[in-house]
Amino acid sequence: MDIDVIVDNIPFFLGGLILTFKLAVIAISGGIFLGILLAQARLSSRAWLYYPATIYVHFFRGLPLILVIFWLYFLVPVFTGHSLNEFSAVVISFIVYEASYFSEILRSGIQSVPAGQVMAARASGMTPFQTARYVVLPQAIKNMVPAMVTHCVVVFQDTSLAYVIGLREFLRRINLVDAREARSVELYFFAGLVYFVICSLGGLLSQRFEKKQLKGAHF
Amino acid sequence: MIEINDVSLWYSPELKVLSNISAFIDRGKKIVVCGASGSGKSSLLRCINGLERFQKGEILVNGVSVMSPTTDIYKLRSRMGMVFQHFELYPHMTVMDNITLAPIRVGKKSKGQAKAIATSLLERVGIPEQADKYPSTLSGGQQQRVAIARALAMEPEIMLFDEPTSALDPEMIKEVLDVMVDLAHEGMTMVVVTHEMGFAREVADEVIFMDQGAMVERQDVQTFFTAPENLRAKQFLKRIIR
Amino acid sequence: MEIINYQFDWSVIWQQPYGSMMLKGMFTTVLLSFLAWCIAVVVGITIGVFRVVPVRSLRIFGTCYVQVFRNIPFLVHLFFWYYAAPLLLPKSGQMWLYDTVPNYAFLAGVMGLGTYTASRVAEQFRAGFLSISPGQFRAAFASGLTPFQTYRYVIIPLAFRIILPSFTTEFLTCFKNSALTMTIGVMEITHTAYYIDSFTWHGLETTTAASLVYLTLGLFVVTLMGQVEKRIKIPGMITRRS
Repeated sequence: MDIDVIVDNIPFFLGGLILTFKLAVIAISGGIFLGILLAQARLSSRAWLYYPATIYVHFFRGLPLILVIFWLYFLVPVFTGHSLNEFSAVVISFIVYEASYFSEILRSGIQSVPAGQVMAARASGMTPFQTARYVVLPQAIKNMVPAMVTHCVVVFQDTSLAYVIGLREFLRRINLVDAREARSVELYFFAGLVYFVICSLGGLLSQRFEKKQLKGAHF
Repeated sequence: MIEINDVSLWYSPELKVLSNISAFIDRGKKIVVCGASGSGKSSLLRCINGLERFQKGEILVNGVSVMSPTTDIYKLRSRMGMVFQHFELYPHMTVMDNITLAPIRVGKKSKGQAKAIATSLLERVGIPEQADKYPSTLSGGQQQRVAIARALAMEPEIMLFDEPTSALDPEMIKEVLDVMVDLAHEGMTMVVVTHEMGFAREVADEVIFMDQGAMVERQDVQTFFTAPENLRAKQFLKRIIR
Repeated sequence: MEIINYQFDWSVIWQQPYGSMMLKGMFTTVLLSFLAWCIAVVVGITIGVFRVVPVRSLRIFGTCYVQVFRNIPFLVHLFFWYYAAPLLLPKSGQMWLYDTVPNYAFLAGVMGLGTYTASRVAEQFRAGFLSISPGQFRAAFASGLTPFQTYRYVIIPLAFRIILPSFTTEFLTCFKNSALTMTIGVMEITHTAYYIDSFTWHGLETTTAASLVYLTLGLFVVTLMGQVEKRIKIPGMITRRS
């Protein structure tokens, strides 16, 4: 059991962890933004919005993220003429991919608000925009927070896939040190521990929010 | 046959479900247990076949202690049949499979033997044609009769009924009670938790009245209906019998 | 927008030697996923049962298993199985491993994917178990069935029917996760597609073909499970209308 290999490389790993967080934050925000657009398209009654969005979502949900990363890495240069640098390739792939998952969470959150709520709001004279802003969205957001937080934790874990394009995020750095020092057991144990702690915190956060939710739900 | 000695059951110091229950149930006797909701009657029934584990006291079935770690509780349970308020038929199995599951797996009967037993039981409860149907396609009364057949399939010495008609529509209560009355006349030892006082009057030997976990009245059936001693029992009777 | 003069060459997919490489890759994907899925279902159901039985040590074990796999990325697990696990064996064990096992990456992939997917299957079965009414357990126990028999004949089949939709999704996810085994060298379809690019510079065609493989597999799994659902449907239960 040689802990030194971990301790000596902490700054190196920390740099990787920061990059991991950066990637996760960008992927999550971009994914949610695009996800909102997709969700609205999937809820719309206009065929020209609904069908492309539905195909998009089913397409990306049926593929492994790693394949999407490669596919876009090859595809984008064909259209833009430049080859893609690693970080951009990964970021675009993440946003495009995770958006399909976020859109489904958003969509089911909105659909979980009973139709009667919309009717009540409209009956009292509210415009569609007001209905959405004051009645539908607050409830929808409350309903979807657990699934959202869980998926953010998943995205955080997915960042480890950036490994395949050589991006030096946290896991890649662990792997590099392992290749040099061959202390696999300690290193991967350590990596597992770091991820475990961060993701467990995310899970606990989601649970606390759910508990608060239940407390407030007395009718 | 069944000895209940000073049994107490609690979930927490505040939540005492059974307090010092003692009773003796002879072979061939029909005992009706009644009382308000929460009086502990269902829990008492479940203690008899070990589905609920009590903290104090002892229950002996034919001399075998229910709570003792050396007891083969599965063998003991196979000698007793239980019928539940919500029927609890296995929804993913046909009526026939529901009835033959225990005889095959516990009673070690062959499929043919089990099927024969099941068929004769279905005839006894009046619905032989439903053998290959799924429970959800049957009415409540039919489901409960299947449940009774399922319990009888293991050839038990005693039948335990936990409010068997409480979840049934009024039209169907009679068909189930008729089966239970026939069973009683055939000599089966029965402990029945129920609100059906007509059934009690017709078939029971003794009535036990429970209130808040304690057995407050125990009488032979005539005395219970004509001259109950306990105040709560009197109030209960007044409300139940119009 | 300038479109670079890219010569599409779709023949890369079937031309030799790339055609057979792609085919081999497809086969590897299917075989690896299938083997891992078998492990996942067996282990997953077991862990799911552990999480709900009234035995504290089993429950704790089950919860730890699920938490460990849920909070650590699959890649880390894979690396652990491939790089670290052999080192935990005694020297003689390691020698035996490298001598006898021809394709350790594949084995590590199967073990990693199997145990990881098992944790997710466990959670689904747990949800299924929790949605089954306690009465079903009581009815089974009351007829003398042991806990093992109860789970085997009543609870697990019932839970399976309840969770079939999310079970299907998990099967699909297992196929998709198999792509990650490329990081430890397994030549499944994604790796093959990427690999061919280094020879031909036509990675776009191969990765598109690989995408089609996954989408087709997905379609196949969904159709297959749809048929399974039809066969084992419980009449009266709410199912998806196709």
